[in-house]
Amino acid sequence: MMEAFFIAVAPLLGGLLYGFERVLRARMQNRKGPPLLQPFYDMYKLIGKQAFIVNPYHSILGIVYFITLWIVVAFIILGENLLYIIFLHLLSVVFLILAGFSVRSVYSHIGANRELLATLAYEPVLVMMAVGFFMINGSFEISAIRANASSIIPLFLLFLTFLMIIPVKLKKSPFNATEAHQEIIGGVEVEYSGVFFEFMYMAKWLEYVFIYLLLMLFAGDNIALGTALFIGTFLLVNLVDNATARVKMRDLIKIVLTLGIVLGTVNLIGLSYV
Amino acid sequence: MFDLKKYRKKSPWILHYNAGSCNGCDIEILAALSPKYDLERFGVINTGNPKQSDIFLVTGPVTYRTRERLVELYTQMPEPKVVIAVGSCACTGCVFRDMYNVEVGIDRYIPVDVYVPGCASSPELIIDGVVKGLEILEHKSKEMEKPFKLFKAATIDDGIVNRRHSALKVGEDDAKD
Repeated sequence: MMEAFFIAVAPLLGGLLYGFERVLRARMQNRKGPPLLQPFYDMYKLIGKQAFIVNPYHSILGIVYFITLWIVVAFIILGENLLYIIFLHLLSVVFLILAGFSVRSVYSHIGANRELLATLAYEPVLVMMAVGFFMINGSFEISAIRANASSIIPLFLLFLTFLMIIPVKLKKSPFNATEAHQEIIGGVEVEYSGVFFEFMYMAKWLEYVFIYLLLMLFAGDNIALGTALFIGTFLLVNLVDNATARVKMRDLIKIVLTLGIVLGTVNLIGLSYV
Repeated sequence: MFDLKKYRKKSPWILHYNAGSCNGCDIEILAALSPKYDLERFGVINTGNPKQSDIFLVTGPVTYRTRERLVELYTQMPEPKVVIAVGSCACTGCVFRDMYNVEVGIDRYIPVDVYVPGCASSPELIIDGVVKGLEILEHKSKEMEKPFKLFKAATIDDGIVNRRHSALKVGEDDAKD
């Protein structure tokens, strides 16, 4: 029953998190910032806007992306198989990339290309993280991972690589070349408007819930450690976002792929000898 | 039931277009968005994407090169939308008024809701103009607003061609038909 409630309000929790993040970033830059409920005001406004449909396929793929992501979050909350969740999340990203390629806008195509390359960079790290959890717990089931003790010490290098892919997923500096709002006007979401853009906007909130729920897995059954990890990572990611400039797409792939694979492999090899 | 018009006022996203301006008003707009004046506390985001914007901030007198893009960007924005002319050039043409390569303000091509004067207009004035535009945005409906037809035959007062007075108002040419 509790799980069903959390699944139902998952997008709202993500929206609150996003609103809080905007206030926090404003305070870091020494200004007042928008109200806490600003993402919801944006959402209500987008319902009342006229919607331009470029082609029906494009609009439906945006909605499918949102729904698939919600299913992924639901499976994490229910404690299903971690490997299955990672691949289902890959499917949702594929829907987003298809949506980007289904219109003739050049910005949308560049955004979809970059999204594809970013997926190439962070997907091995996610899979290695799942393998690491399997070697510690003997199971891919999230319910088993949550029942065992915290695995942050043996998986510390994988935890560091996971910290590195959080900005890629959440489209934050220095790894926000996929969205790059100043140059390619948001990339994939450039052709969305009105109520269809709202689904893309809410999918962004669900990405927050997805990535922070995966982060909490490192804490295992230790709720205090989980909360500390969440707050610490949230502050760190926003601090880095405010303090760094964007790197080029090529550098994003180089940094995330090489550092991620090296650190992850070292950790996995070390685990197999322990 | 939710009143969506109330929320329309609380989350305006702006699109900024330079229709041949000297860059003076543009840096003032960027100053209004920067941490010192902080337009984001009203929920304003500079989107740069016409399909997701509510407020169209235009600076500069319209030149022949920029007018097509101006109308194009205006038509790509979904209703409801508000157009704000920032700076004297965008309002009336300023010192470039009646030059051969410059139009007399942006309101010959698109319907303007708020005029912000000044050369260059200060960030405080721009913020006032945006907040005034929000009140108008609240009352606008989802229906299409008719763009202006260009202008009637030019009338000559005192030997000066004044196209402003010959511009057609909304619905004026419909009444004629």
